[in-house]
Amino acid sequence: MAELRLEHIYKTYKGGVEAVKDLNLTIQDGEFLALLGPSGCGKTSTLRMIVGLESITRGDLFIGGRRMNELEPSDRNTALAFESYALYPPLTVFENIAFCLRARKIEPSQVKQRVTEVARILDIEDILGKRPVELGGGQKQRISLARALVRDPDVFLMDEPLSHLDAAQRAHMRVELKRLHAQTRRTTVLVTHDQLEAVAMAERVAVMNLGVLQQVGTFDEIYNHPVNEFVAGFIGEPPMNFLPCEPVSEGGELGLRATDGSFTLRLPSQRAQQLAKQNLKQVKLGVRPVDMLATSQAGDDRIAGRVYTYESLGEEGQLAARVGGHEVLIVTPPEDHFEPEQPVWLGVRPDRLHLFHGETGAAI
Amino acid sequence: MDATLRKRLIGIFSDGFLVLYFLFALFPIVWMVLVSLKSTDELFTTQFIFTPTLDNYQAILFGDARASAGVIARQEFPRNFMNSFIVSSGAVIVSLLVGVPAAYALARYNFKGKENLAFTFLSFRFAPELVVIIPLSLIYRQLGLYDSYFGIIWVYQLVTLPLLIWVLRSYFEDISPDIEQAAMIDGYPWHRIFIQILLPLVRPGLAAAALLAFVFAWNNFIFPLVLGASNVQTVTVSALGYISSAQAFFNRMAAAAVISSLPQMLLALSIQRYLIRGLSFGAVKG
Repeated sequence: MAELRLEHIYKTYKGGVEAVKDLNLTIQDGEFLALLGPSGCGKTSTLRMIVGLESITRGDLFIGGRRMNELEPSDRNTALAFESYALYPPLTVFENIAFCLRARKIEPSQVKQRVTEVARILDIEDILGKRPVELGGGQKQRISLARALVRDPDVFLMDEPLSHLDAAQRAHMRVELKRLHAQTRRTTVLVTHDQLEAVAMAERVAVMNLGVLQQVGTFDEIYNHPVNEFVAGFIGEPPMNFLPCEPVSEGGELGLRATDGSFTLRLPSQRAQQLAKQNLKQVKLGVRPVDMLATSQAGDDRIAGRVYTYESLGEEGQLAARVGGHEVLIVTPPEDHFEPEQPVWLGVRPDRLHLFHGETGAAI
Repeated sequence: MDATLRKRLIGIFSDGFLVLYFLFALFPIVWMVLVSLKSTDELFTTQFIFTPTLDNYQAILFGDARASAGVIARQEFPRNFMNSFIVSSGAVIVSLLVGVPAAYALARYNFKGKENLAFTFLSFRFAPELVVIIPLSLIYRQLGLYDSYFGIIWVYQLVTLPLLIWVLRSYFEDISPDIEQAAMIDGYPWHRIFIQILLPLVRPGLAAAALLAFVFAWNNFIFPLVLGASNVQTVTVSALGYISSAQAFFNRMAAAAVISSLPQMLLALSIQRYLIRGLSFGAVKG
């Protein structure tokens, strides 16, 4: 077990595509970190550089304080659970798991002992004699995890491990993986595009976009204090609403007015002061759908809109309303119902609103 | 009930059709065997009942006491058979040694002109042999390859190599690179990954392609005819020897053909399992 440290890592592919730019990240010994981002954000490239399947263009990679850049994949003592499982079809499940131990010329009796132990942890003892072709996705997944665990790696990496499972198996494996980590306390990196997976399993989440690390922190930190518009929009389901506004002075107090003039909004004094310091022409107001309420009564500081669509989802409703030229999504309590084209008034929780720089998207 | 009856009728018809096709497909072989058992006198009669004789087999295998002028007197069939065997299996072995790595490279690596190279290999197969045979024969005479095993095996690569490369390429393409990378992380050198993981996966394709390549090589006529002489004469070429200006020994030719087709039939039967799966390209699943 060891600490994993990435310092100023760059990855440039042939043809000049920059997959990863100046990545600095430290994963503590025993920590479970999720690398989260949309496809093409560089998270898989990062993972492959850690394992050694991809060369590092620039920067340094340390595992347990040792520099790993030039080491062969087999010498890094990392384990990777592939998205496609990558089991060896000609071999039995037992031999699949034992494969890396055989390469290290470990005694057969010990191989048997270690394979059986890992198989017990992952609950696959009864299928050790089968071949991968005969097995379902969930079982293959377990074998791929067993194969990664059996070698006792310093760093355990998983590339979208749950993406090929059905919903029920996914929920089950999430719990299993978390339990596995709690049991073994291994330094673990999970690559995923699914925030639910990241939240459910990882202790810290690193959000990447376009090859650049955006924010690292616990999920609460990232959810409540996103550093920029991308992170704010990427994290949270349904996604955050963004409305372009301009700061206006009203009776000595700084407020917001929609760029298209559809509403004005007072700001809590603390946020107003922060905004005043920046002296901006354009900002973006960000509000999560769960931090808004929709009523049919006009009121102070409410935004006037019109119902566009309404879906009742049982436990909650989702209301899409048009405000000026923009669509705003609101999560509503189950007892409320709305008709299309009905006028609505939208309230915003003043302590839960986010402000972003109009051009750079950075949080204010 | 109506549906089951219809199903049964369809079953009977398709079985009947298959039997008809079976008879149609096997007829030449049956005819060949029949002719090979006839004596020269019975050869051209339309009489279907005759006394079978093994004289023809004896003649081609052990020599003919009553050899007449113009017909090959010293029986060379066993030698020709060996020649066929040597050049065909030699050609397949060389193709395997060259074709497997080539197919792997074409499947895995991206390099400049990759598709052009692959197409060039394929073009060997569909370019008519007659187009290249005259210049090749001149070159062979100059290089001293004329009438040598090496020369024939070399030229047979035009027949065997494209087949192996194209079948195996699709097999290798079907194997996820992840599997190789997983084995790399597991600490295996490439050659052991290849032998332990990849080879078992491509084996059906390998067997089917090698068999077909062997059959194509065995059946080839024009290359040994033009580029070989007595040293490397194969069964396909020597079959011509049973026809002379004086007499045509179709019965001996048939006997020679029966023996010559035995290896192919035996091979095909023994790896039939692979043959069906192997040619339905890309049957590899992880």
